[in-house]
Amino acid sequence: MATTTKTDDREGAADAQFDDAVDEELEANVGWRYTVTQVRRDPTALGGLAIISVAMIVAVIAFVDGTLFEYLAQYAVFANLGIEQYAIAKAVWVSPLAETGSPILRPPMGITNELYPNEPGTFAHPLGTDHRGRDVLVRLFYGTRIAMTVGVVSTGIALLVGMLVGSVAGYYGGLLDDALMRGVETLYAIPFLVLVIVFMVAFGRNLIFAMIGVGIANIPTFARLIRSRVLSVREEEYVEAARAAGVRDRNIIMRHVIPNSFAPVLVQATLQIGVSILIVAGLSFLGYGAQPPTPSWGQMLSNSRDYMLPNPWFSIWPGLAILVTVVGFNLLGDGLRDALDPRINN
Amino acid sequence: MGRAQYTIRRIIQAVPVLIGVATITYFLMEAMPGDPVSIMLGPSPSASQAAAIRAKYGLDQPVWVRLLNYIVDAAQLDLGRSLYYKVPVTQKIAERLPVTLLLLASSFGFAIVTAIPLGIISAKRRNKPTDHVSRVVALLGVSTPSFWIGLMLIIIFSYRLNVLPATNLVLPWAPVASVEGATSRIDVLVKTARHLLLPTLSLGTLQMAALTRIERSSMLEVLGEEYVKLARAYGVKETTILRKHAFRNAQLPLITLLGLQLTSAIGGAVLTETVFSINGMGRLIITAINNQDFALVVGTTLVFGLVFVIGVIITDLSYAFIDPRVSYDEAE
Repeated sequence: MATTTKTDDREGAADAQFDDAVDEELEANVGWRYTVTQVRRDPTALGGLAIISVAMIVAVIAFVDGTLFEYLAQYAVFANLGIEQYAIAKAVWVSPLAETGSPILRPPMGITNELYPNEPGTFAHPLGTDHRGRDVLVRLFYGTRIAMTVGVVSTGIALLVGMLVGSVAGYYGGLLDDALMRGVETLYAIPFLVLVIVFMVAFGRNLIFAMIGVGIANIPTFARLIRSRVLSVREEEYVEAARAAGVRDRNIIMRHVIPNSFAPVLVQATLQIGVSILIVAGLSFLGYGAQPPTPSWGQMLSNSRDYMLPNPWFSIWPGLAILVTVVGFNLLGDGLRDALDPRINN
Repeated sequence: MGRAQYTIRRIIQAVPVLIGVATITYFLMEAMPGDPVSIMLGPSPSASQAAAIRAKYGLDQPVWVRLLNYIVDAAQLDLGRSLYYKVPVTQKIAERLPVTLLLLASSFGFAIVTAIPLGIISAKRRNKPTDHVSRVVALLGVSTPSFWIGLMLIIIFSYRLNVLPATNLVLPWAPVASVEGATSRIDVLVKTARHLLLPTLSLGTLQMAALTRIERSSMLEVLGEEYVKLARAYGVKETTILRKHAFRNAQLPLITLLGLQLTSAIGGAVLTETVFSINGMGRLIITAINNQDFALVVGTTLVFGLVFVIGVIITDLSYAFIDPRVSYDEAE
């Protein structure tokens, strides 16, 4: 929209006036406060929130515990070394964390006990031990850290890039739209798992690239969603009204198009974290996630395959951990959808 | 625009997507550390040996030249030779693709046959116990890793109860003589069915759950439409409304999802094939990646892309078939 400096003030005033009117309406109907109230009343969303909170807390404890333990373990070894010796020791340092677990998380559970592999649950090891005598519960705890980080970070990447691509394509249309959406379609045509594995083999077989890879693989989901929202919101009457009132394009996008596109995006992002956790579990199962001895749920399941007969529980627990966590995100996503889209409620 | 014309246009539109798939995979494989030639010849090949191999497989040319050559060859159905298996890629794919298609077809079949009734019952008895049960099943289905379902099924049905086999899938088209204990084609098919049951449940559960959810919400939406209310007001029987007025219109979102689910189902097939040791495309591509088998990775991915593209085109075509209001001009 062409604007000249002369009309800027008048347009600014129109912007403000129109925004106030719309804000009031939003506040009453679909504002954040309304959403929070709706979510609070919804048992499914609350259930999901509870599960996610527990997983978050476990992940944070495992993270703090791991970092602290790492520091203490390094301190014990490095404290009395000279600078040169320190450099050498640091270079060959292998964290004992993943092998033995930290003293904080498992004081009564003992260290790795090679004498008691494949134990069923006991008081000392509530969920039993794995094939190397490692406590399954502690490894599940550490696995939470990885699952949550990967789920959230990869979804964040997908969301940011997808939002950019989708809104540009939707708003400008034409050739740019065609080109971008063909690209997105191409990305979508390669199965997620294959794309991420090839990506990881090309750039690095570790968690960082797993997160980036899953993020890239999920871009199409968000790009398509945001584009379709932008296209429909652009045609809404209130946007037309804003345009008629002389509001500038940029302001229309920032104040009306994006906020009104955001509800389904938020829902999708919540659900997508769950999907990402599933994908990463699959990657780890195939040997393309966190590398051993760092515990991750998928890798624990992969290890358990050789011991399914003597120790089926070893296969059951990590799967249940994945299931419960993903259920949490799905419940919250469904709850948010109901709260954000009042049309479904009646 | 007629159906044939529309189909042709869609196929032409799919070409750039497939070229894109080949390009992305090609460059990712190119970025891989390590040298396929040294993998082939062992750790310390002689320079002349390596050069000969490079020339034979065209590895001595710049990447974009090779990519262009590859695309031209691929258009003529030549996907190069596998470095690992030492046979043409197309031969390897022709061997494995039917297996994966069989697995996908049985999973989608299972998903559709269970999801549609579940979704309809759920919508019909909204907020009654049946609805709750079906919603919980669907929720658990979309939240469970498919390979874990596979592991659990193996533990229960193969190890504990010992009623269903976990490995050694018998292919329905295998020669009767080569299948142990089979005397006729029917024996072979029965064996195939028994072998396919667990992988189908493992891979199909996610699709089933996703489809149930969409079927339920779509049915609910249609049942709330004005014309359904009108039919009710006229005293039309509920079953008639369901069958004649609601069912067909509620299937469009389901079809969209079916097309989109293909790509995640192929990813799931990679895992399911690993769990059940099925020699399909999924295990093929994992072997290929692990051995840096350049041509085989790109070729397999391209075929995955092709399966997906065909799936989406069929989806779009069936739109217009199910809903006459959709014309070929609008459907894009």
